[in-house]
Amino acid sequence: MSETVVVGTARAGRFATVLIVTGSVILAVVALAAVFAPLLTGWGPTEIDPLGTLVPPGPGHPLGTDANGMDVWSRLLHAGRLDLGIAVAGVAVAVVAGTALGLVAGYLGGWVDDVLMRVVDVFQAFPTFILALAVAALVGNGTGNLIAVIAAVNAPAYARLVRAEVRTVRESSFVAASVTSGASTFGVLWRHVLPNSLTPVRVIAPLNAGWAMLTLAGLSFLGLGVTVPAAEWGAMISLGSPDVVAGRWWTSVPPGLVLLICVLGFSLLGEGLQERAEAKRR
Amino acid sequence: MDTDLLSIEDLSVVIRRPGREVAALSGVTLRVGRGEVVGLVGESGGGKSMVARSIVGLLPGGSLASGAVRFEGDDVLRMDDDALRRHRGHGAAICFQNPRGALSPTRTVGRQLTDRLTTHQRLTGAEARKAAEEQFATVGIRSPRRRLDAYPHELSGGMAQRVMISLATGCAPGLLIADEPTTGLDVTLTREILRRFRLAADTDGRGVLLISHDLASIAGVCDRVVVLYAGTVVESGPAARVLGRPAHPYTRALLRSVPDVDGRAVVATPGAMPLLKAAPRDCPFAPRCAHATAACTSERPPVSWVPGAAGDWTLACFHPRTDELAREEPAAESSGRGGAAKEPVLEVDDAHVVYRSRFGTGGHAALRGVSLRVAAGETLGVVGESGCGKSTLAKLLLGLVPAARGDVRVAGSRMSALRGRELRRLRTRVQMVFQDPIGSLSPRRTVADAIAEPLRALGLSAARRAERVEALADRLKLDRSMLARHPHELSGGQAQRVCIARALAGEPDVLVFDEPTSALDVTVQAQILEVIADVVRDPARGSVFISHDLATVRGFADRVIVLYLGRIVEEGPVEEVFGNPRHPYTRALLSSAPSLGDGFSGPKITLTEDLDDTEAAGPGCPLAARCPFADDRCRTEEQELRPYGNTRAACRRVPEIPDLLKGSDIRV
Repeated sequence: MSETVVVGTARAGRFATVLIVTGSVILAVVALAAVFAPLLTGWGPTEIDPLGTLVPPGPGHPLGTDANGMDVWSRLLHAGRLDLGIAVAGVAVAVVAGTALGLVAGYLGGWVDDVLMRVVDVFQAFPTFILALAVAALVGNGTGNLIAVIAAVNAPAYARLVRAEVRTVRESSFVAASVTSGASTFGVLWRHVLPNSLTPVRVIAPLNAGWAMLTLAGLSFLGLGVTVPAAEWGAMISLGSPDVVAGRWWTSVPPGLVLLICVLGFSLLGEGLQERAEAKRR
Repeated sequence: MDTDLLSIEDLSVVIRRPGREVAALSGVTLRVGRGEVVGLVGESGGGKSMVARSIVGLLPGGSLASGAVRFEGDDVLRMDDDALRRHRGHGAAICFQNPRGALSPTRTVGRQLTDRLTTHQRLTGAEARKAAEEQFATVGIRSPRRRLDAYPHELSGGMAQRVMISLATGCAPGLLIADEPTTGLDVTLTREILRRFRLAADTDGRGVLLISHDLASIAGVCDRVVVLYAGTVVESGPAARVLGRPAHPYTRALLRSVPDVDGRAVVATPGAMPLLKAAPRDCPFAPRCAHATAACTSERPPVSWVPGAAGDWTLACFHPRTDELAREEPAAESSGRGGAAKEPVLEVDDAHVVYRSRFGTGGHAALRGVSLRVAAGETLGVVGESGCGKSTLAKLLLGLVPAARGDVRVAGSRMSALRGRELRRLRTRVQMVFQDPIGSLSPRRTVADAIAEPLRALGLSAARRAERVEALADRLKLDRSMLARHPHELSGGQAQRVCIARALAGEPDVLVFDEPTSALDVTVQAQILEVIADVVRDPARGSVFISHDLATVRGFADRVIVLYLGRIVEEGPVEEVFGNPRHPYTRALLSSAPSLGDGFSGPKITLTEDLDDTEAAGPGCPLAARCPFADDRCRTEEQELRPYGNTRAACRRVPEIPDLLKGSDIRV
């Protein structure tokens, strides 16, 4: 018996799991810290320390205070509620609305498809951030409005994505089988077309949530999103930006880092889901 | 020994994937000599493609291989990258199953061939183009110079496969491997393509390894045959002997599972091929074998000479069969069940279906004036090659495409007159069993859900549905534990049983089978054919059985219609059409149907021209461009179905044909 030859290497299937777990852990830590923020700090997020503004990190304030005399550590923790909340809720609304549009357009086709997709074209004709700026300027900056902004700028992409999937799925013989079984159009869509068209959405949504956080922070930085005194990372960076030049790094750098870590968490999660979807296809 | 072109010695391959290992090949030994055509046969999962991949050094990443794959003495498994690249160009070349998928869609086919010639043969561009033109001509491509500049999508399936062959033979490799080269091709083309491989061996002294699950079609071109089962060679020897008087029970099971145009009955073997995790220590076929003894399950049978046989004939079995493979008599007459006297459950009157292009007024007429009737208890066979309108007819019967003209009536109700809820009701009266069983089940729904779908539309309560689903599962011999599974956990055979159960659930008046077994493995096919034979026997129901495979239709149908380019060219009782075809096209179809027995007995017509449906768009007979008997009137006059004895055929020259044939075969 001759010796055994190993041909190349198999792609590690565990890679996907590592990505998904790492991403999830990062996001869970940030989310838990935001939810249990009052337990981790003595200061309220908008509480002003009468003893001073721009105090450097030290025993009383682990990350110092900002120009308004508010505790940076406390604001950092509390900001997660708004940032994660608005981003996730906005993307969730975008997924639901976009999927519904894409489903109807893709399955019915014809003029319905034409009309819906031209509307989508109009939305997609603008760069996401410019569109977000315009919509935010139009509707104002309450929490609900910001969720609507995030949803409005992201929904068209889902509509397009789902529509493309639906157009493939509707040609499959299981859909034909369902139609000939006497199922109603709604029944076919709900039981067969929808569940089989969501794979790409599952992959894109987490990545999208990361981008949505950046959009939100960007809006806030420009004063069109969440505004001080409410705790939000983009707004914190904006408020602290003049200080950085003066060497007072603690007001801007920590929220920037947390933002980076969150976006990284979402990206890892999305990449992992994509790897897993591809592994399944092989 | 060193005269062998290819010699595979005790090759074992284990594929490692996260969480599972598959012993794809376990001790495979085979050889291919120069000028020899060797058939590698067996069902999917048997390891056929893995053998092909090992020969060109394309085993999947992470596999463990042992043994040797010697090509002219050099071991392919242990070649470095440079040697492997040379080997792939000059040594062995592979022809893939799906020619259109294997050709790059954005490059002209000529370019794809000249690329190879300039890389491996170091020809200049002009030389390569000239050589390519010659290559195209040798594989039988008409006007080769023009075709060099064609893109793959501009070619028919047969033309694309010819291009594939020229790509494989282009650099004059010593060994040609063809992986299911004719799957998906029409019967009239299959013979022609296989003949090309035989020619490659005979004229150029190449070795050819022909991989196929279709025993009948390769039987005529192979010198030797190697039968694989679960990664082991179970039988190997001269083609005439192995296929004529097989000694291994698996080979026998394979041969008896194939319907044949001569009408012999199919005998199904229970079970399915196992997917082995490690090299077997027993006979892998033992669980399905009627002759298995204790020895078979405790020890792996060694490869030995077939007792009493001359020549190079070996098998791995403790109990080789030496008797003649019993030729079952044709099944009891299925026709004459009095179907015609009953009320028709399905009627189609002069139906035309046109697929319109989205912009402009053009369109493609897929059906042009098709009329048919199916009575309760009757089975109508529909045969024809790809593009003949079979699938469109199925869609029309199901109400999935509208008729541009004409009408479909199910149980007396006109489909086109109904809308909404009533149309949905009527649709449940016609149910279809699809070609791809797994694809026709929603991946995210359980088996029970799938079977219950028509019942849901009928408004049955959940409890009644569950009851009925269990009864159907029992009827189709599906284990009840399977009801909670998802389609990807099913084998092809199980999935097709589920699809048949779903089709039966609402007690439809008409069942449409659209190539229900063509996606299945040979022995599973036989099992499903048994199930279908049982189902169509129901006197309350009419069935339509659509297939490109004449042999399968012959086993079921009472009457047959033959479709060609959207028209019915012949129609009649099954024995009549198969025994005494009136239309030249029917005769050509029957002549090219592969057979392990005597096949079609009358004078044969072989069509070698590929179908070109642009030529058939004119007013005359659609076959005129390919027909050996066509004259000017055929090309200009519309041919209508005319009665000839019990059958009707759309050919004005039917009475003259016996004289024209004069009892001899015709090739065009």
